[in-house]
Amino acid sequence: MITSFAVWLEATAVSRAVTHYSWIWPACETLHFMGLALLIGNVGVLDLRLLGAVKRLPVAPLNRLIRWGILGFAINLLTGLVFFVGAPTQYVNNIAFAFKLLFMALAAVNLLVFYLFGVARAVEALGPGDDAPLSAKIIAATSLFLWIGVMFWGRMLPFIGNAF
Amino acid sequence: MAFLAWLSGSPVGEWVSGSTWAYPGLLFVHTLGLGVLVGLNAAVGLRLLGFAPNVPVADMEPLFQYMWAGFWVNAVSGSVLFIADAPKKAVNPSFIVKLVLIALAVWVMRALKRHAFPQSGTSNGVVSRGARLLAAVSLVLWGGAITAGRLMAYTAALK
Repeated sequence: MITSFAVWLEATAVSRAVTHYSWIWPACETLHFMGLALLIGNVGVLDLRLLGAVKRLPVAPLNRLIRWGILGFAINLLTGLVFFVGAPTQYVNNIAFAFKLLFMALAAVNLLVFYLFGVARAVEALGPGDDAPLSAKIIAATSLFLWIGVMFWGRMLPFIGNAF
Repeated sequence: MAFLAWLSGSPVGEWVSGSTWAYPGLLFVHTLGLGVLVGLNAAVGLRLLGFAPNVPVADMEPLFQYMWAGFWVNAVSGSVLFIADAPKKAVNPSFIVKLVLIALAVWVMRALKRHAFPQSGTSNGVVSRGARLLAAVSLVLWGGAITAGRLMAYTAALK
């Protein structure tokens, strides 16, 4: 069923436009890598801080940087959609793509745990040099692992899977 | 040219082109290094440009260690990727542009550390005009390096 949807999508005008204009794919790839850097860098600063690596940074002001990580995610969601619409059949039966989506979903769950269980509020008060609680460290390490994993599966799309 | 061919035929070159996992593995490591280096550089640069004004600049300094780690991971993984495909990559215009942009970006990164992170570590509030300019230039240079790197896959075919 998902395969027939992909076949249908690939025959649409919008899908063909993506592959017809030869600049769209490289342009979106470039943006996808910039988005990747924004996401991993800005979220990474908070994760590293919670893990104790840049411990002198107070936590609350880092929230402003998280916005840039969210921007990176938005860029990648959008450009990722362009890839999917442009060549859906190379993703729907691609094991690396499935794992990439799974890791993104787990990252979302991790984020929900961070915000809904009071951990985000607890770390907000951490000043220069304060040690983060273990729960926050586990969430930060999980976040790094999952986003690096998303990157790994994305890179494996053409190798373990069948994407170009 | 003979040297480039020798490189790709060397044991390292043979290993990358012969093994199933070396090439994808190196690409992943190279992407990870990019994310760490350019991503943390973006965080520091955005702070210097005034986007997260309450983050104390001086306390961001340890991030440079991680940026350098990302840089060296990519210098090594990039060199190995180059060795495996030296004759083609050496004449790829995007590759040349990428190297130039990285050289400039690294130079700016070192200048940034000197200007924006004085040894005293006390000045937090005001970011000097020069530091802001360097921060903006570094964002543009790394963005350019990413662009040139991505386009390598497309400009190689022109030859």
